[in-house]
Amino acid sequence: MSSHEPVNILMVDDQPGKLLSYEAILGPLREKLVKANSGREALEYLLKTDIAVVLMDVSMPDIDGFQLADMIREHPRFQKTAIIFISAVHLSDVDRLKGYERGAVDYISVPVIPELLRAKVSVFAELYRKTQQLEKLNRELERRVAERTEELRESESQFRSLANSIPQLAWMTNPDGAIFWYNQRWYDYTGTTFEEVRGWGWKVLHHPDHLDEVIRKFQRCLTTGEPWEDTFPLRGKDSNYRWFLSRALPIRDVNGKIVRWFGTNTDITDRKQAEEALVKSERLAAMGRLAGIIAHEINNPLEAISNAFYLLRDHPSLDEEARYYSKLAEEELARVAHITKQTLSFYRESQQAIALSLADVLDNVIELQSRNLHVNSIALDKRFQTPGKIQGYPGELKQVFLNIIGNAIQAMPNGGRLRIRLREATGRSSGSSGRRGVRVSICDTGMGIQPEHAKRLFEPFFSTKEAKGTGLGLWISKGIIQKYEGTIRFRSIKLAGHNATCFSVFIPTAAATQPTEIAALVA
Amino acid sequence: MKIMDQRKAVILCVDDEDNPLVLRKLVLQKAGYEVLTANSGKQALELTASRSVDLVLSDHLMPGMNGTELAQQIKAQHPNLPVILISGVNELPAGSAHANAFVSKIEGPQALCKEVAAILNLPFENCENC
Repeated sequence: MSSHEPVNILMVDDQPGKLLSYEAILGPLREKLVKANSGREALEYLLKTDIAVVLMDVSMPDIDGFQLADMIREHPRFQKTAIIFISAVHLSDVDRLKGYERGAVDYISVPVIPELLRAKVSVFAELYRKTQQLEKLNRELERRVAERTEELRESESQFRSLANSIPQLAWMTNPDGAIFWYNQRWYDYTGTTFEEVRGWGWKVLHHPDHLDEVIRKFQRCLTTGEPWEDTFPLRGKDSNYRWFLSRALPIRDVNGKIVRWFGTNTDITDRKQAEEALVKSERLAAMGRLAGIIAHEINNPLEAISNAFYLLRDHPSLDEEARYYSKLAEEELARVAHITKQTLSFYRESQQAIALSLADVLDNVIELQSRNLHVNSIALDKRFQTPGKIQGYPGELKQVFLNIIGNAIQAMPNGGRLRIRLREATGRSSGSSGRRGVRVSICDTGMGIQPEHAKRLFEPFFSTKEAKGTGLGLWISKGIIQKYEGTIRFRSIKLAGHNATCFSVFIPTAAATQPTEIAALVA
Repeated sequence: MKIMDQRKAVILCVDDEDNPLVLRKLVLQKAGYEVLTANSGKQALELTASRSVDLVLSDHLMPGMNGTELAQQIKAQHPNLPVILISGVNELPAGSAHANAFVSKIEGPQALCKEVAAILNLPFENCENC
């Protein structure tokens, strides 16, 4: 707006002569002069155009000046419009107050002094112009603020949708490390609310074994401004920990000062597990090779010694005492043979899998353990709902169940219950899911399995029996069951002070036997 | 396999190690068999070519020709001559199908005699002293 843009000045008087004289007085102001002969006409102008100053006679026939002022003021657009009253009669202070109450801004008495009127109108016109300019600037400012706000909102919304679409958990911190924002995935994974984890509240989701180290490293980066990277477990809403690779980068302003940190946590649990599984399977393969070598190296001399004592057993040259020593040696040798057979020998006793009944295998194992069951006062609860016909090798399956049942009995030195079930079932685990097969479950009421032992139960050389066990029984059993594409798993629960441990072995029914069964059905 | 009752069955024992070979021979002799020995597959093939043998009992892991290779060659030359492999390894080796049976060393002398009797189609009770 230029410095002098004419503004409208409304002059209201019922006497045209007065209007003319005002026009003459105000002409030099170079404003736009609008004349109205009545209050009504004045209102019409007011509604049509913007008026900077209203100059009005107090006494007019239809609507007098005060009434007009009231009406003008009622309209929100004109609440601040300057009104100058011109009064021919002498105005008392009460009248003036009455006028001010109506929002008049000034009074001029008759006779009008032209310089005074011009000066007053000029001031109000200028004030109006300035106000208009200010309002215009304000509107411009508001528009620009709105534009920038919209831009920001858009860019923030873009940032948020980006931040929520990435597979990582993401967050931002203040320069001091206090987190003020997390993406949706963070909340989805942790099940927390912002209030719970704002600032340093995320600490509660860390594993106590790792927390101190995580904080130490993070704080060092906050101090040095170096990018942060760490790997640690974070607790999810299901209370399970998963491993995350976490990174954060400092965001700097134009002066290089850190204004915030942007960080992400990438779930690497599956990768980590795959790596661990690989290491584990490599270790297992190495163990297997080692077991094979040890077996071979032990078995060869063992055979020779066994044969030697076998020949010595009834040799006529031996006297009673020598025979006794020989017998002791042979007995101890049998123990060595037994342990290597139990643990290191995988060999299959027949070259081809034969049709066998798991019920027979289990009965055979129970028979072998009957003395131990009796000695330990263990009640046997056996229920076979199927003969459990599968294709397999009886010897190694016997070894599996001898292991599990043997463990169960050893877990109940003071008596208990041994429950053995055999039934047809459908595979549940990923490898055997949906496959038909047979399930053997062996449950005992013994001392239970400590949670810290559970993970390592199937590892080689893991034993809780100290000198009595080799730590290979379950490892070998698992290996055998896996050859049948089956699964072996266990559950140990504690209920009302009583333990129950159940081993469950699932063996899929060999595909080759299916046609025979169908044929049998048809027949 | 029919064995003439008039004579003892002849078993050829093969092993590269002397001590186990001698002891195995004594066990089988005690069980009533006539026993020949060889220290290698090559020597064993020479013997089966020149002598009348009813059964070959060979170690599996031997330098040069191993047990399964020996079994394969024997079967090529004498399809009806039974071969038993005996080993300390814990997995059936590849090619073990060439042999009639695979016996683990860990099973002990009686199990070995039982297997030999079964392959020779002799009742186990017949091997006195077993």
